[in-house]
Amino acid sequence: MRVKISSRYALVLALVAVFAFFSLTTTTFLTPGNLQSILVNNFALLAVVSMGMTLAIAAGGIDLSVGTAIDIASLIFVSAVAAHVAIPLALLGALAGGLLVGAFNAALIAWLRITPFLATLGTLFIGQSVQQLSTSGGQPIYLITGHVPPAFTFIGHGTVLGIPFALIVVAASAAVFVTILGRSLFGRRVEALGAQPGVAWYSGLRVSRDTAWVYVLSGLVCAVAGIVLSCTVRAYVPLSGNAYLLNAIGATFLGTTFSKVGRPNVPGTLLGVLLLNIVANGLLLIGWNFYWQQVGTGVLIFLVLVVSFGGRRQHSARAA
Amino acid sequence: MTTQSPSGASPLALEMRDLVKDFAGVRALDHANLRVGRGSVHGLIGQNGAGKSTLIKLLAGIHAPDAGTIAVEGAVQSRLTPHRAEELGIHFIHQDRLLVPTFTVAESLFLGAEPRRFGLPWLNGAAMRRRAAAILRETFGVDLPAGALVGELSAAQQQLVQISRALLNRPKILVFDEPTAALVRREVDSLFGVIGRLRAQGITIVYISHYLHEIGEICDAVTVLRNGVDVGTVDPRTTPTADLVSMMVARDIHDMFPRRQRTAGPPVLSVTGLRAAGAFEDVSLTVRRGEIVGMTGLVGSGAKDVLRCVFGLQRPDAGRIEIDGAALRGRSPSAAVGGGLALVPEDRRGHGVALSLSVRENTTIASLDRFARGPLIDRSAERAEVDRLIRELAIKTPGREAAVRNLSGGNQQKVVLAKWLSRQSSLYLLDEPTVGVDVGAKVEIYRLIDELAGKGAGILVLSADLLELLGLCDRILVMYRGRIVHDGPAAATDSDSLLMQATGAGVAVHA
Amino acid sequence: MPDTVQSHIALPVDVSAPRSRGADTARTLVRAGSLLAFVAVFVAFAVAAPGFLTAGNLANVVGQVAVIGVLALGMTLVVVGGGNDVVRGGIDLSVANTLGLCAAVYATVLGDGWGDGAALAATAVTGLLVGAVNAVSVVWLGILPLLATLAAMNICAGLELVLTHNTVVAASSPLLDVLAGEFPAGVPVLGEVLLGVAVLLAVVLHLTPAGLRLYAVGGHREAARAAGLPVAAFVAASYLGSGLCASVASVLSVALLSGSTTGSGDMLLAVVVTALLGVVFSRRLVATIPGTLLSALFIGLLINGFQLLNISSYWVNGVQGVLILLVVAATSMLRPHAR
Repeated sequence: MRVKISSRYALVLALVAVFAFFSLTTTTFLTPGNLQSILVNNFALLAVVSMGMTLAIAAGGIDLSVGTAIDIASLIFVSAVAAHVAIPLALLGALAGGLLVGAFNAALIAWLRITPFLATLGTLFIGQSVQQLSTSGGQPIYLITGHVPPAFTFIGHGTVLGIPFALIVVAASAAVFVTILGRSLFGRRVEALGAQPGVAWYSGLRVSRDTAWVYVLSGLVCAVAGIVLSCTVRAYVPLSGNAYLLNAIGATFLGTTFSKVGRPNVPGTLLGVLLLNIVANGLLLIGWNFYWQQVGTGVLIFLVLVVSFGGRRQHSARAA
Repeated sequence: MTTQSPSGASPLALEMRDLVKDFAGVRALDHANLRVGRGSVHGLIGQNGAGKSTLIKLLAGIHAPDAGTIAVEGAVQSRLTPHRAEELGIHFIHQDRLLVPTFTVAESLFLGAEPRRFGLPWLNGAAMRRRAAAILRETFGVDLPAGALVGELSAAQQQLVQISRALLNRPKILVFDEPTAALVRREVDSLFGVIGRLRAQGITIVYISHYLHEIGEICDAVTVLRNGVDVGTVDPRTTPTADLVSMMVARDIHDMFPRRQRTAGPPVLSVTGLRAAGAFEDVSLTVRRGEIVGMTGLVGSGAKDVLRCVFGLQRPDAGRIEIDGAALRGRSPSAAVGGGLALVPEDRRGHGVALSLSVRENTTIASLDRFARGPLIDRSAERAEVDRLIRELAIKTPGREAAVRNLSGGNQQKVVLAKWLSRQSSLYLLDEPTVGVDVGAKVEIYRLIDELAGKGAGILVLSADLLELLGLCDRILVMYRGRIVHDGPAAATDSDSLLMQATGAGVAVHA
Repeated sequence: MPDTVQSHIALPVDVSAPRSRGADTARTLVRAGSLLAFVAVFVAFAVAAPGFLTAGNLANVVGQVAVIGVLALGMTLVVVGGGNDVVRGGIDLSVANTLGLCAAVYATVLGDGWGDGAALAATAVTGLLVGAVNAVSVVWLGILPLLATLAAMNICAGLELVLTHNTVVAASSPLLDVLAGEFPAGVPVLGEVLLGVAVLLAVVLHLTPAGLRLYAVGGHREAARAAGLPVAAFVAASYLGSGLCASVASVLSVALLSGSTTGSGDMLLAVVVTALLGVVFSRRLVATIPGTLLSALFIGLLINGFQLLNISSYWVNGVQGVLILLVVAATSMLRPHAR
């Protein structure tokens, strides 16, 4: 069977196909309640985390410690709120936590020149220890109902003009990251780093400084995700951040298929996140065994990768 | 098309006749011929793009010719594949060493043909090492520890490993592709000794090199390729280098270089007492605005290190570097670029341009601040500037958004120049600027360099091509073993004396 | 990756002298230092931790690292064939979830009344199938190993859930009893299996031409091709090997836990760490079987020692993290590079 899809639109087509499929095969998919549930509960957090991952991968690296930044931020935020610290201060603390994780990565990668995969792997491990030690082995910190500050509830469940706050956070982060990656000087330099670090160095770019900022930003945006997560579940659950790691990587790479040149990009990543979530949700609704969902999602990612890499190979063979 | 016969009439080890090869509409070989006498050392020279590598790939069986024949020892080969070429005894000593850096010498030697033990596939490390050491000793008289890791060896030693590996197969024809590019003089001499010994054993050698004087030293005959066809086969021992070059480029050398009408201004680069342990010492030089200074030297002479130190890629141990009279602060390319320096690196594809990015993105990467509107990029200003530079440098590209990977070598090099033009740099450091560039683009690049100097920039060119330096530069420096041994006007010297100085004064050189 | 360019002048350093004894000495120091660290830790625990230096305790450790050890040995094959660059070269992120799937298969087949023989066969087939899928993705479809095995990992995790419905499937059988026991007295069979697998793989990887060629494929793909080696076949074989090791490890896991497990995915990082840490024990700073084995034992001893000293096990992760960073910083500087 000759697949005549331009590899660039594989993602969009998959999205449309899946959306149509589920709309037609179940009655509950296309309801506002369901769509909202997809977007808020699953999509928002993964989307935010994936943006940081997109930046890291665009710079030619990877950030395996996204979960750590989420968790540390969440830990600080919830602990502070539980100790009756003022919300703004708690927020700052949480962001500082994410910044710390990012700065640690930055030091390892930009200063000690450790390869990002292994550096962030190390951070991940150290972060796990830190969390386990701080919580005596993984005890969540719950906020007692009735002692939950209103701001907290708003972040987690409030709406602005009918739009859930979490989505607004996503939109804002997306706006920031699209600007950074697509239109800013820093973003252009990041692209050069990812495309060919040697050229960046020989062209006089300050590679260390830009690399450091990439990981700091990733840590920061994950901290934002951590804050929203804590507000949604009204608790800090240790080591829960890691669940996002693999999907963030998957979404980012799915997203590269959307770019004309196969580079990580924010719009593509968001489409990737959307695809992953719709598939998971849809499969559930059509009555698939919950456990087949993961298989389905895995197979789908696989197929998109095949088409994307296959298309790219064909293209480069022609140009050779 | 003259064809002088090489040393006496001898049966041909290799006859490639009337070969035609097209790639995607471009004719790489246009009825090319190569006749190699048995037991001779036959040189093959030509500009990049003349067809040398295509010819060799046909010989290696990697591609099949569209027309023409290849005969090995008189027998025409109808379908040559890499496997068949090996069976016929044709082996290649590639320029890229193609050795695994974490392997020992012994393992590299025997990879793919590992000695068995009791008929079973069982590696015996000690036995392999003994045999490897013995082979190296017998063949080259060299005592190389067979347990040494290839990645730790010098380029010359790695080459010996390569050659030994080829010799294990009892080759009939050995093709050397740019073998001396990474060797110092002493090692080149040893290599020539080795080649002499191989020839005495009856092996036929095909020798490809850009170093024309070497061709004269070692080869009995040389075939010159130009634009996909052989334009002559001559005896290099009696042919002056300038004639060889004329055959290669089909024009009088002097036509390639623009006339000079520039006056030198104040010094833009001033280096005093620069020293880097193990590389060079006591280097002092000046480049004025409007001046083109050439620098040359063999590998190990330190010339490249000086360039790298000036650009901040390497730390010198002592000395001063001044740009326009102000000391350069900080030791990194970004400090250098900030101070007004520009580098066109030798490894264009690794360091000069990002192949996957567009012409536009490559051109503006070093000068993004010029298009800044706050933290964002002013896209229209960027587009305008890129279009202007494309026009000014006559870059042949489908458009500013085309990926640089799709451009020819010469046009890629122009993109590198455009990158620095966009920054309006004061001092250009050019490292082998025309390697891998076709002749037409070379002339354009020479003109561009001349114009840059004419507009007031200072230029320092590093090149192994002496004729290029003589044609292009106002002044030439020669380095030998870490010191400057010559610094004078280009008009007052010639290629022979430059060569003598580069290889250590007093060494006899065959014309 | 950029092509190299033909050039007249190549490297700036004087190439007539071999690149310093310095690097060679440094590598020897790192290796010696690592072995010393191993011994030092051992001695420290022997002295400070009560009950550490007993045969029973040590044998126990070997048994406990068996599962992760076998997985890491399989991953070593992939790393060797892919070259030491983790991101662009070879890695198999699916091993842990393949183990989970295989364990589920084994337990389920046993539970359906089939004997050990059938269960073993089914498990082996499962592992090989996953390996085959990885091989096809990486070699023929050209997908980056990191992504291909990531996708496979997700699929395996899902299939495992389908089989087990996120519960533990209990299993027992004569074979499992043997594996979980000791033979002779005091020597855990699990440990013996680990050592057996290690010996087998060490022979293949370090003492046969095939192993040498796999190293060539990973060390310099172009050189391997120029030497006429079937690069694709070797890379594919490494993934099949990794899958098969996951099968073996899964049987050991079922024996250890008397059933399948739900948290197999968590093992992944420990396995990656084990395989990567192993390079410091090799002279050339590449992945090797003895190195991986030593690395697994080292981590096992660390965990064990911590337990005996009543140091919270929560420190272990952190220590592993610091170790990775140290190892990486040292090896990236000292590994012999291509010119």
